Amino acid sequence: MTEKEEFVEELSGLLEDNATELKKQWVKEMTEMGLLEKLSSLEIEQQSTAIYDTCVLTIKTGMYEAAKKYAREMAKKGVLEAMTVDQIIMGMLKLRDVYGRFIFYKYQKDVEKLYKVLGVYEPVANRILSIVALAFVEEREMKITDQQQAMLTLSTPVLQIRDQILVLPLIGTIDSARAAQIVEQLLNSIVDTQASVVIIDITGVPIIDTAVANHLIKTIQAAKMLGADTIITGISPANAQTLVTLGVDLSMMTTRGSLRSGVKLADEMLKLVVMEKR
Amino acid sequence: MEIPILKIEDFLIVSFQTELSDDEIDKLREDILDKIKETNARGLIIDITALKIVDSFMARSLSSIATTATLLGAKTVVVGMQPAVALTLVELGLRIKWNIQTALNLERGINLLREALKSEKDVVYE
Repeated sequence: MTEKEEFVEELSGLLEDNATELKKQWVKEMTEMGLLEKLSSLEIEQQSTAIYDTCVLTIKTGMYEAAKKYAREMAKKGVLEAMTVDQIIMGMLKLRDVYGRFIFYKYQKDVEKLYKVLGVYEPVANRILSIVALAFVEEREMKITDQQQAMLTLSTPVLQIRDQILVLPLIGTIDSARAAQIVEQLLNSIVDTQASVVIIDITGVPIIDTAVANHLIKTIQAAKMLGADTIITGISPANAQTLVTLGVDLSMMTTRGSLRSGVKLADEMLKLVVMEKR
Repeated sequence: MEIPILKIEDFLIVSFQTELSDDEIDKLREDILDKIKETNARGLIIDITALKIVDSFMARSLSSIATTATLLGAKTVVVGMQPAVALTLVELGLRIKWNIQTALNLERGINLLREALKSEKDVVYE
């Protein structure tokens, strides 16, 4: 048994012998800081045991698998129950302090030994903390990516309103990624439905700047190449002013104020007549 | 490879079945122009449904064929462009010049030309 292993043994032994006291101390300090308010006493008991078990196991085995699993669970729970990252990281820091202070207290007479035990304890404690923090960041990022994906797929429906007329209502801000997705979806729909007129309604686009105008122009050109004409509807007065001020050239766009007049124009282009039934 | 140039009614139809080399495109351009002269065609339909890739040379050639064909009196319609091709061309910053008309498929292209030619025929010279 190497010297290090010896101290690992000693440290885990020490923590195991004083399990109840350590858990109690942590719960006490956490409660004082008001971090456990949302949990019932049963949950607190479970939490303190889970954290304690994870720490001791990690110190004993030197493997971080258990810590990672625990951190992932915590992250999921934290996001679900709307616990803040701050609260959970403060909790972990507190845990580190409680165990650390306990170790100091135990070995205060023997500084040499204290150093060696801390040498085993500190890297493990720090690593666990970083694992927990990372798990939270990952969980958030995953959630954000999921939401973005959902938004992308939900936000660009292409509707066929007549045999040869498509309507594409755009809602929300348009960035490059979304613009690319819109063009692709629109072009495929044109080919699928054999449409010859497309109405893009941008009533729901809050801000139209040069980038968005550029995307629109590209979309129109691409549709034109397939043989479909495009009508833009629903440019708000404010946006129209912005576009003019920016000097965006919209001469190649056919525009109409409202979706209704856009549909009318499309009907005219296709020589369709809608009339009341007699 | 010889590409057939078909005549139907008053116009010619050229259908690209494979990607062409730059030389072949040049040769085709000459053939088309000769044929327009020979048949006195009033319209030209270029069908690129089968083309998965259109590079900048090809796009430029299409545009120049259209310009020269118009000079010879034949209206040009490009039909059947694939979405991916249109996307690439727009991303490359190439616009099909507005002297080229486009249509979704061959049938629509023919209709488009018929319409255009009919309105011309309506003019009566006294």
